[in-house]
Amino acid sequence: MDALAGSRVITPVRALSVGLVACRTCGLVMQRRPVPTPTTFCRRCTTVLRERLPRSAEHTLAWLIAGVILYVPANVLPVMYVSGVGGGEESTILGGVVSFWRAGSWDIAALIFAASVAVPATKFLALGVLLWTVHRGSDWARKQRTALYRLVEFIGYWSMLDVVVVALTAALLKFKALGTAEPRLGIVFFCGVVVTTMIAALSFDPRLIWDMGANDGH
Amino acid sequence: MSSCARELFVCPHCDAVHRAVVLSRHEVAACVACGRVLARHHSLSVDQLLALTLTAALLFLIANSYPLMTIEVGGMHTEATVWGAALLMLHGWAAWPAAVLALSMFILPLLQITLLFWVLAFARFGRRAPGFRGLLVTLHRSRPWSMTEVFLLGALVAIVKLSSWVHVTPGIGIWALASLTIVLTILSMVEPRFWWTLLRAHA
Repeated sequence: MDALAGSRVITPVRALSVGLVACRTCGLVMQRRPVPTPTTFCRRCTTVLRERLPRSAEHTLAWLIAGVILYVPANVLPVMYVSGVGGGEESTILGGVVSFWRAGSWDIAALIFAASVAVPATKFLALGVLLWTVHRGSDWARKQRTALYRLVEFIGYWSMLDVVVVALTAALLKFKALGTAEPRLGIVFFCGVVVTTMIAALSFDPRLIWDMGANDGH
Repeated sequence: MSSCARELFVCPHCDAVHRAVVLSRHEVAACVACGRVLARHHSLSVDQLLALTLTAALLFLIANSYPLMTIEVGGMHTEATVWGAALLMLHGWAAWPAAVLALSMFILPLLQITLLFWVLAFARFGRRAPGFRGLLVTLHRSRPWSMTEVFLLGALVAIVKLSSWVHVTPGIGIWALASLTIVLTILSMVEPRFWWTLLRAHA
């Protein structure tokens, strides 16, 4: 078992090549059964044991495409309608950013821009790069690509920010005489973008980044 | 399965096999291949975790019973709570994002606090909580979808946004929500493996 002391050597042994499998839920490391075998479950938490998430790249791509498609109406359609004394006005996400910028709140404009525009765009690009390099079996910058995956995982839910802002504004601005705010259809698509891209990130198995290459033919 | 397999760690991000090391205070174990944090030292006992969970439960109660913010226009006033914001949109097509909000900002944080309390309260007396396995799996699965911190930031943005039109007063709810976010973050820094070995370590 000394060969497994991965923390002391530069290229650590990988679980797949030494017949080990770690539970995805609780992390328990177990010996893998010889291949044609019925489904096995984790001894500790009964999660189905899998070496890799099945069809991970396909699932990620499917959810990613769904996210990109939803991103179009999410940005084109208005997300909120605000009526005031001088009549009503619908605003899109980018429109909201611009109006904050013009009103002098550049910090809030930057925050909403980051959460609603930059974060989804980064997720699309990053997951696209990850899928493409995994598909090609590239061994380029593995460590950095794994870090990129962690970034996608980390920024994932911050895009919900705009949904929260719209919901709270709508909950508060309900003075019939002076002003009301209502959510508009764009927010549904926007929420869809957040959910689909989060599922896309969760479907991606980062171990695929490390699978291709010299050591094992997976 | 040899007992040896128990001391091994497999990095969930790159499949590298590591041997467990004992961490001292402030130490963090990271994967040698991809840099993912594999383990973090924490010195919280079951009692302390239970206290934090109870704090979280109280803060959750306060954050949801007091308004996050109140606005006043010409003698009239409206207020918003976490639950109220989601509920208000719960009609027509807006029900979809409202359901996501309700789940991620209210139901899942509540579920997590309840599950932690249940598991820890039994562990406190050296017992395995009924339904331990399923509850911990639920806790683990629901974690990525719990978004209290996003709600906090969203509420702050909404305050700034509205304050350009009307007079907005931050309520007790927002302070409770901010504190809750901190407590939940501390609790979520306890790695999953700790919960699974809870009884072995403290029995």
